[in-house]
Amino acid sequence: MRHLQLSAFGLWLLAIGFSANSCSSREPKFQQYFVEGEQLYLKSCGNCHQKDGKGLALVYPPLSPSDFMEDNMEDAICMMKKGRKGEMMVNGKMFNQPMPGVPSLTELEIAEIATYIYNSWGHEKGMVEVSQVRTALQKCAY
Amino acid sequence: MKYTKEMKLVLNRLCLLICCSLLLACSVHEDKLPIFGERTVNGTDTVYHRIAPFRFVDQDSAVIDNGTFLDKIYVADFFFTTCRTICPIMKTEMLRVYEATREMPDVLILSHTIDPEYDTVALLHDFAKRLGVESNRWHFVTGAKDSIYKIAQTSYFATAMEDRTEPDGFIHSGAFLLIDKKGRIRGKYDGTKEDDVNRLIVDIKRLRGEVAQ
Ligand code: HEC
Repeated sequence: MRHLQLSAFGLWLLAIGFSANSCSSREPKFQQYFVEGEQLYLKSCGNCHQKDGKGLALVYPPLSPSDFMEDNMEDAICMMKKGRKGEMMVNGKMFNQPMPGVPSLTELEIAEIATYIYNSWGHEKGMVEVSQVRTALQKCAY
Repeated sequence: MKYTKEMKLVLNRLCLLICCSLLLACSVHEDKLPIFGERTVNGTDTVYHRIAPFRFVDQDSAVIDNGTFLDKIYVADFFFTTCRTICPIMKTEMLRVYEATREMPDVLILSHTIDPEYDTVALLHDFAKRLGVESNRWHFVTGAKDSIYKIAQTSYFATAMEDRTEPDGFIHSGAFLLIDKKGRIRGKYDGTKEDDVNRLIVDIKRLRGEVAQ
């Protein structure tokens, strides 16, 4: 009996180890950005792009996954702060609906959101640093 | 001894069954949906609040008025295409209503823009197309701003007004209103809440089941 209990405990430990691993058991800083980023995403982006990142028909493009997002991280960073207008091709489909930016987002918050979306739904870009966000924002086309 | 134990069990089960069926019976024989708004009694007739006459234009430039909804049940809401707060959720939820009523030819949807200066017919046409919905089942209407705000407040009891201090420039409620075939409000739901919209979908079925009085 005691033996059984012990091995159950062992299995449980193993399971925890695995699940933590699959949720990207990278450094605590990554974890912190990811968790904060998820909250910010749900607050500022999820209305349109949906909680699961699937978007809405041809009105709001998907992030889960998105080839546009994958290839244009600096654009995506600019859009969060400054918004975007005009046509854009995402996963082979044309979208054209203005996205309002959120000017009040800080560089840290943008880095957190970027860390979240770029490590969810099949994107695996790893940590997005504040310094990367700063550089991208300086280069925004508008 | 064993026999009585089993008897007890059977009795218990029976009791449970009776209780359950009683509960079920109660929920099936629920009352009709309420009728919202003021009512006046005229002799033997009760006159209920109805949606006032209106005339707007939809995404296909077709004139949409009370006649469009003659003998139809419809769900109404107020939104605008560039709104970033609640409307995206409302449209996601309304799309669920649209899907759920696909096989119901007597159920329509009426979405009013509260930003008619920006949301022109062409823009609404594009928006509806992108949403992937048919214009004969889901009308996106625009018109004179004053008449839209007025019908929102006085007929649908929904808030809609301009307010430059709001993040979107407008204050408006996220309500979905269920209107019966006689133009009376029979339900009000929060179009940003999945549970509430599920209730709306159930109520549409209930309303369709009501025999004409
Ligand atoms: C009001 C709705 C709305 C909100 C809120 C919103 N977006 Fe967007 N987003 C859009 C639309 C519409 C587009 C397409 C823009 C275009 O057509 O030019 C878009 C495009 C994008 C794209 C590029 C296209 C793609 O699918 O990869 C990314 C990345 C993106 N948004 C991320 C975000 C993030 C992150 C936030 C939160 C900070 C956010 N969006 C908030 C509506 C919104």
